[in-house]
Amino acid sequence: MIMKNNIRVERAIKNITQADLAEAVGVSRQTINTIESNKYVPSTVLALKISRVFGKPLEEVFMLEEGD
Amino acid sequence: MKTRFLFPYWCRYLGYACILGHIPVVLFHKMMDYPKPSDGPELFNAHHLFFMATTLLMLVGLIIVAFSKEKIEDEQISQLRLDSLQWAVYLNYIILVISLIFTHNQDFWDIIHVNMWVPLVFFIIRFRWVIFRLNRSLTREG
Repeated sequence: MIMKNNIRVERAIKNITQADLAEAVGVSRQTINTIESNKYVPSTVLALKISRVFGKPLEEVFMLEEGD
Repeated sequence: MKTRFLFPYWCRYLGYACILGHIPVVLFHKMMDYPKPSDGPELFNAHHLFFMATTLLMLVGLIIVAFSKEKIEDEQISQLRLDSLQWAVYLNYIILVISLIFTHNQDFWDIIHVNMWVPLVFFIIRFRWVIFRLNRSLTREG
């Protein structure tokens, strides 16, 4: 199982940059970037914070997918 | 993010200053080639005090550099720090085991000497390297 996310899409809908999102949840831009490209799995707290920025439930931003 | 046991960001420069400051002092001392005092107390003679002061300066510098906060300290940085620490401990013990196998017990002093800075130096190099790679991936993707 791997974790995927819709952050890039949600950002486009809200029209905010990685830097804006990073500032809103209090992490570095690098962290948002690695989360978007599925290289880093955020903690539950950070995932909840990110989905709160988008005003959506967690499952609509982050989802599990079959994979290695 | 709340972190414990880390020095503030600016301390890193203090640490670099300690490390860089200790090098010319030691080199100068080596060049002057002071003879080891043969008489006097074993502990706390001039030679011992000098060695202690410079070594402590280097160690404190390394520790501060290794364990000062990043500009933006977040959970990914914490994870990278933990990762690098694990690598450093592995490497340190590999070197320790190898040197224990291949040295006679009279060289024990040298082993301890190396053992003193290997984990910290390797940790710093590894940690800086992964952060450098992280930043590079960011600039590449724009």
